[in-house]
Amino acid sequence: MARDRVIFHIDINHCYAQIEEMKFPALREVPMAVGGHEEKRHGIILAKNDPAKKFNIKTGESLREARAKCPDLLIIPPSYDDYIYYTSLVKDIYRRYSDHVESFGLDEAWVDYTDSIALFGDPLKTAVRIQKEVHDEIGLDVSLGMSWNKIFAKLGSDMKKKDGPAVITRQNYRDTVWPLPAEDLLYVGPATKRKLRARGITTIGELAVYPRQYLKKAMGIPGEMISIFANGGDSSPVAESSYRSPVKSVGNSMTMVHDVDNLEDLRPVYYVLCEAVASRMRDHGMEGDVISVSLRSSGLDWYGCERRISQKTDVSGVIFETAVQLVEQLYDFEKPLRAVGVSVSGLRPLSFHRQLNLFEDEEAYEKARAADLVMDEIREKYGYYSVRRACTAIDSELTAFNVKEEHTVHPVGYFQGRRMMP
Amino acid sequence: MELYKRYVDVIIYQKRNGDITPLYVCWENGRKYKIDKVLSSERRASQVGGCGMRYACMIQGRRRNLFLEKNKWFIESYQP
Repeated sequence: MARDRVIFHIDINHCYAQIEEMKFPALREVPMAVGGHEEKRHGIILAKNDPAKKFNIKTGESLREARAKCPDLLIIPPSYDDYIYYTSLVKDIYRRYSDHVESFGLDEAWVDYTDSIALFGDPLKTAVRIQKEVHDEIGLDVSLGMSWNKIFAKLGSDMKKKDGPAVITRQNYRDTVWPLPAEDLLYVGPATKRKLRARGITTIGELAVYPRQYLKKAMGIPGEMISIFANGGDSSPVAESSYRSPVKSVGNSMTMVHDVDNLEDLRPVYYVLCEAVASRMRDHGMEGDVISVSLRSSGLDWYGCERRISQKTDVSGVIFETAVQLVEQLYDFEKPLRAVGVSVSGLRPLSFHRQLNLFEDEEAYEKARAADLVMDEIREKYGYYSVRRACTAIDSELTAFNVKEEHTVHPVGYFQGRRMMP
Repeated sequence: MELYKRYVDVIIYQKRNGDITPLYVCWENGRKYKIDKVLSSERRASQVGGCGMRYACMIQGRRRNLFLEKNKWFIESYQP
């Protein structure tokens, strides 16, 4: 049998809040949370510190709910540039010990230590050393789980937040992992949890011993996948540090400064979003043909739909027209809209051959594309706001945002475009 | 004694290979303090908040920690 892998999963505990505490140590003494900009209305708790935890403040709840629990809660707006900067320093420390460091969001990463044992020795000692180096050099505490697969390593890092690495071995996983609730497992969300409950499965152990073929029959491939995960059978590799997952879709969304209750007001917002999406597609050298829109009403309900257009494109005007048509079909504006988004998928590398169409004005298409390219160039040289579409001047407050460059931190998928390998 | 984080102007000597040696710390009142010796330089977190390259310096016979945080300098100061 081949030698087992040694994989660390390292997690910066309540990352954003801890970085703020590192910058301003006095914050450690008071209940504090990092929350979205209230005036821009992304008003949720993104991370909280330990004193705030005592008031039962939860990540993801609204600032209003949080203030109701703790009136003295100090809410700090996020500084994403800092979070990106400091977390990259932390990951540089991981890279001292392996060239296989795979990020999972800003705050988490897997490190494959298997081939580094010959260089740095005992994994447990190295794990402790990594924790110490991050603490001494960056002033942050990380929790660390160690196992032979990525899934159990991640469970391990959630187990012992404060005191040392958690080691999950083939000998102890039945005692350590199996009693945990099934929803602790990656890919078991609320919907899957309900389905498992219906079958009397509440813990990872119960999931592991449940006949796999029944799960597969009831829930498809994901059912089989979580059963494999629960038995420690995940063999997906830790990506090399230089690995970049292929781009599958390009999208942007935003919460508007005020609610919008008609399509006319929404058009300029969509133009700005579509320009950003098209421009990012050109950065990647991609074109796509599946346009999807997502809408969130003031009642926080979600709506979404998509359409395949006749030809792949990277022109903002084409994406815009389709997106607005979709919104028109999808939504009746009974409730005003709070947040909107658009994304393009079905991507492939840009081709310079285009099927001419008898029923479309090809000259206008080429002109629109040329205009996009010129705007990209002007913005690159003189800044984003140096050139704008006239329609965005109607309600400049609503459209005064630069989605492309203002940081959005996107959630990432576990498989990053790779196939699952049971 | 309590320490404070004070951003300061620093005169440095930078070699063509990128190595930096701080030479003087410039206080707000215009006084310049000569750094007599740099005892060590390593990446460290500061107890007054922030992290960066820490230059442990001898200034007028006393040890002071000077930090290069991103592109700004601060000193762990005994004066608020």
